[in-house]
Amino acid sequence: MIGQLRDKCRRLLQDGAVQVVIGYGGASTPDGMPHPIFVRRPDDVDKLVWNDRCMSNLTTYLTRDAVKALGKPAIVVKGCDARALVVLEQECQIDRSAMHVIGMACAGVGSPRAPKCASCDVHVPALADEVIGEAPETTGPADSPYSELEEFLKKSTVERFAYWREETARCIRCYACREVCPTCYCRRCIVDKNRPTCIETSATVKANFAWHVTRAFHQAGRCTGCGECTRACPVGINMRLLNQSLARAAEEHFSYRAGTDRETPPIIGAYGLEDKESFIR
Amino acid sequence: MSEMIAQEALPGLVDKWLAQGKRVAGPSVVKPGYCLYVELESSAQLALEGFVRPRNSIKEFVFPRHETVCRYHFSGHTVETEDCDPPQSEQVIVGARPCDAAALPILDHLFTWDYEDKFYTERRKATTVVTLACQTHDDECFCTSLDLGPAAEQGSDVLLLAMPGGYEVRCLTDKGKALFAGETRTAEQAAVVPPGPPVTVTPETVMTYLQASYDDPMWIDLALRCLGCGACAYTCPTCHCFDIVDEGTAAGGCRVKNWDCCQFAMFTQHASGHNPRPGQSQRQRQRIQHKFRIYPEKFGVMLCTGCGNCARNCPVGLGVLSTLKEAAGHGPVEVGS
Repeated sequence: MIGQLRDKCRRLLQDGAVQVVIGYGGASTPDGMPHPIFVRRPDDVDKLVWNDRCMSNLTTYLTRDAVKALGKPAIVVKGCDARALVVLEQECQIDRSAMHVIGMACAGVGSPRAPKCASCDVHVPALADEVIGEAPETTGPADSPYSELEEFLKKSTVERFAYWREETARCIRCYACREVCPTCYCRRCIVDKNRPTCIETSATVKANFAWHVTRAFHQAGRCTGCGECTRACPVGINMRLLNQSLARAAEEHFSYRAGTDRETPPIIGAYGLEDKESFIR
Repeated sequence: MSEMIAQEALPGLVDKWLAQGKRVAGPSVVKPGYCLYVELESSAQLALEGFVRPRNSIKEFVFPRHETVCRYHFSGHTVETEDCDPPQSEQVIVGARPCDAAALPILDHLFTWDYEDKFYTERRKATTVVTLACQTHDDECFCTSLDLGPAAEQGSDVLLLAMPGGYEVRCLTDKGKALFAGETRTAEQAAVVPPGPPVTVTPETVMTYLQASYDDPMWIDLALRCLGCGACAYTCPTCHCFDIVDEGTAAGGCRVKNWDCCQFAMFTQHASGHNPRPGQSQRQRQRIQHKFRIYPEKFGVMLCTGCGNCARNCPVGLGVLSTLKEAAGHGPVEVGS
């Protein structure tokens, strides 16, 4: 797979079809974790790697000015990452025709496997210009994406509140969750608005709750479940569970899963006469 | 010959400190894979082995991520202010890593420089640091490159070193002696200090580079992958930037001191809209310049202890060490050029 990937990227750069490849590479040790790299010369494509430690969702770079300034990109995506491309395209943040998407067939990432991989149904990326690798043999149907949430909802309200209190109390407000997220592309995040202050920057339980609940609500019907927020969190806050809750609501009430279909209008960005809520009609 | 405390006696001592009303903090596994320094309620929470180092640092016990420095009330056309006093209750940090403890004397320079920040200094006076020498290190550790090491004593009041059956206890200050008085026994042997990570960069080379190469395009390449979050700074034992914010209503509120981070675009954003560090490359350069040129030029010490938390916590694996290696010409430029 890596040979194919490098050959493809070499050709794309040589032909001038793209000016930069956003891929994985550069682990300092053989078993180290690859990190995002930006390859601009055909001679450098050998720096690209592909393995089950390629965790980052690289689509978060597509909306960044410094990366956009490099020219037309080719981007390496896993199936779960590619779902963010659908959202970004629907929200007019990217021009899908102005990039080359290289999908990597993926059997799962992380050791132990990332929680999202148990419920993966996108081993082969959709929306890619080409896919490298074969669909892995699966050992059975994927788990429900909401199994962790369903387990959590068996707890009482008091227990759930205590859980979130403990989780959010650890938040140091570094905003790694926001920065890794492809769909957190606002030029000015609500938490950075200070005239007047919308959400206090203090890392208190109250303000941390406000931050995490607001972040989750802004992801309603948009989060594609790549899990980067939870992976990036230095203090291990389980944001995945909050995101799942809103994703399940979108699925239950609107039969909508973010990032799975380019043609279905996004629920937050579309108006429908058949909407269940009367206030909107 | 050495003084030692038995393995099974240490938790009892921690509980004794708690019973004396001291605030005790130490490493604890809050969930699988996440070892953090936390305030302990009992010694059962304390974790002393099975990890390289906690993902946060001990700085938050002398420089909390959030602190109220005064309160204000509006009445008519006047404002009444009410000063807040820093807490002076005694606290013990047990199981600190040498790279955390060593950060405290580095931070002292800043917080006592042109203005004494009593919120820091009062806490610092009331804190006793019981450090545990490192048994292991990983690829991100580089304390030895900065003249520290697995049994470095800087900033510690007591240094514990693992030995068969317990820990060798080296009391380094009067505060440390007071804490362990009557708790140790004499042992025939002394602990063996384990080796630290190999020396990988030389600060002098980095300093020379930073003084000469302000406009190196390397920063643009290097910073492409930086996402601009604060995971590095907030888990760094030495990063100390903060923001003063007023939080409240029309009736009054609090003036608070919150951690801030030079990697945020907002950090240098002026009210006019102008930003002197508009791009991530300027912000990355600033972080390294501050740590390895500006701070040493001002205070004579580097603003880094080689703990490696920046790299371990960075979602895209960008740490001080890999940057220094590139800056010092020890490694190839990884990103495309």
